Amino acid sequence: MALSYREKSLYASLAAELLVYLPYFFFHHQNSVNKVAGMIAGIIVLQILLQGIIAAFTRNRMTDERDRLIELRGYRAGYMTIAGLMILGLAMLWFHFKAGHFPVNNGWAALHFLSAFFGMLVIADITKTATQIVSYRRAL
Amino acid sequence: MTQQQLADQVGVTRQTVIAMEQDKYSPSLETAFKVALALGVKLEQCFQYEPRGKR
Repeated sequence: MALSYREKSLYASLAAELLVYLPYFFFHHQNSVNKVAGMIAGIIVLQILLQGIIAAFTRNRMTDERDRLIELRGYRAGYMTIAGLMILGLAMLWFHFKAGHFPVNNGWAALHFLSAFFGMLVIADITKTATQIVSYRRAL
Repeated sequence: MTQQQLADQVGVTRQTVIAMEQDKYSPSLETAFKVALALGVKLEQCFQYEPRGKR
């Protein structure tokens, strides 16, 4: 079945997210503001590039009620994911501080947890995109 | 009438028309009425409801 414009856009988004985020989180050895900034710039550039190509080669770019419904479903899945991960993350943070594993004034620990929370945002975003892609294939 | 023509008349994408035909999507009431109007038939001739378990 031919893909709608919205579906193509989602596949491109997912590809961009996996191409940029996975290498950063699996291969980076040291937290750095420059690396985070570079990753964000990379995802923006890649998204603009891929979405531009898809838009240029797609004649019919309309979205209808089914697209909006699937988008809502995706946002719901993403929100539930980040809410759950945030609760888990905060609980772990509280536990570690109570146990004295991380000194409060340790900037290194703060950077690590910032990285973890950013990772949660990335997971939620990928969940949102993947949920929409699956919803297009399955019955609503 | 082709799927694209029906989609254009109703105001949805061709993929949505395909999803409706494959029973993968239940349209809104407004869209259902538009489909019936575009095909020139009554609503009941286009859409039927069967409780889950009997499909």
